[in-house]
Amino acid sequence: MNGSAHVGDQNAPRVRIRSLDKTNVDFVLSNTSLSVANSLRRVMIAEVPTMAIDLVEFYENTTVLADEYIAHRLGLIPLVSHTVDKFKYTRDCTCAEYCKECSVEFTLHIKCTESGTRTVYSSELISSNKDVVPVLETEDDRGAILVKMRKGQELNVHCIAKKGVAKEHSKWSPCAAVAFEYDPHNNLRHLDYWYEKSIKDEWPLSKNALEEQERDPSAPFDYKAEPTTFYFNVETIGCLDPQEVVTKATRVLQEKLGGLQLALDEDQAPDAAANVDDGEPWV
Amino acid sequence: MDTSENLPTYIAVLDVPEEKIEILPGASADLTSVTFSIKEEDHTLGNSLRWSIMQNPQVDFCGYSIPHPSEAKTNLRIQTTDRSNAIDAMNKGLDDLRSVCQIMKARLHQRLKEGNYAHTE
Repeated sequence: MNGSAHVGDQNAPRVRIRSLDKTNVDFVLSNTSLSVANSLRRVMIAEVPTMAIDLVEFYENTTVLADEYIAHRLGLIPLVSHTVDKFKYTRDCTCAEYCKECSVEFTLHIKCTESGTRTVYSSELISSNKDVVPVLETEDDRGAILVKMRKGQELNVHCIAKKGVAKEHSKWSPCAAVAFEYDPHNNLRHLDYWYEKSIKDEWPLSKNALEEQERDPSAPFDYKAEPTTFYFNVETIGCLDPQEVVTKATRVLQEKLGGLQLALDEDQAPDAAANVDDGEPWV
Repeated sequence: MDTSENLPTYIAVLDVPEEKIEILPGASADLTSVTFSIKEEDHTLGNSLRWSIMQNPQVDFCGYSIPHPSEAKTNLRIQTTDRSNAIDAMNKGLDDLRSVCQIMKARLHQRLKEGNYAHTE
């Protein structure tokens, strides 16, 4: 039996960080199965919550872009989401529509009064919460261009940013990309390369190939071998730190499992549930 | 009844289903072969949970499928030996996978603390 699913076991997963910067973390996950590594990858892409603009009210829009077009662009603006844990999902919130427990409001009111082009940047959005603001790369970065105006045009919008996950809409994804590789030498033959003359010449090895040995080509194929080492590079869009994305992903996975276990226990104790007094109001 | 207080804030389901998990009709009386239907879950959970359950020597068979892509449902089948049952196997699988995640998180924190990696600003 492969004991890698047990605590305190020497076969428990191992992590080695190769590099870390503001937007990227490069790490190696080893001693675990492909399915676990893939779960981690999928959660990082689609289930780590962030904040993004979700509702836009237009008071005035005389720019050349249609309301829905601008609303879409606003939705895609990355927002700094380090405080996302303090927010509730709107559907779990007690408020009727939105409140400061589950949302952040933004206003933008710009009118072009001079000749020439007036460019509106995401940094001009005024936030109701100092911790949730449009992502800016440097001090003098003005952010993404929202719209360009000529003299006399006006844009006046009120936006509501909510907590969400990329499973619902990719604007909530904290990742720009997640690079994922295993078995760089293709020892396991999970890949069947197309080639003209030579695989070696036409398919250059990745830098991860330096970490592993190529199998002796004359040795018989080990059909029982399984991948155990996985190379990740997580690139964020700035709303969360890359290491934060990875740790939050493990937490999301744990909570998914915990939730399922709770539901399973409840399902197994139907008698206990049947005995609960629903407290009928007329009794 | 408002159950929202009890829900972990991280679980990202669009609609909280009333029954997160149910046992599909056709389970054996001794519960050694059972198909569970899990709502609002996909390959993210299904594949790694199947792996984790398969690690248990009491489990003869474990497989999962998503019967239709437009229904947010995952069916997970477990068959065990007479010495165990599918519910226990499921519970153990969940526990084990959770500890794998726990270790992964702990190792990551440890490595971040050590700071023994290339750091660029």
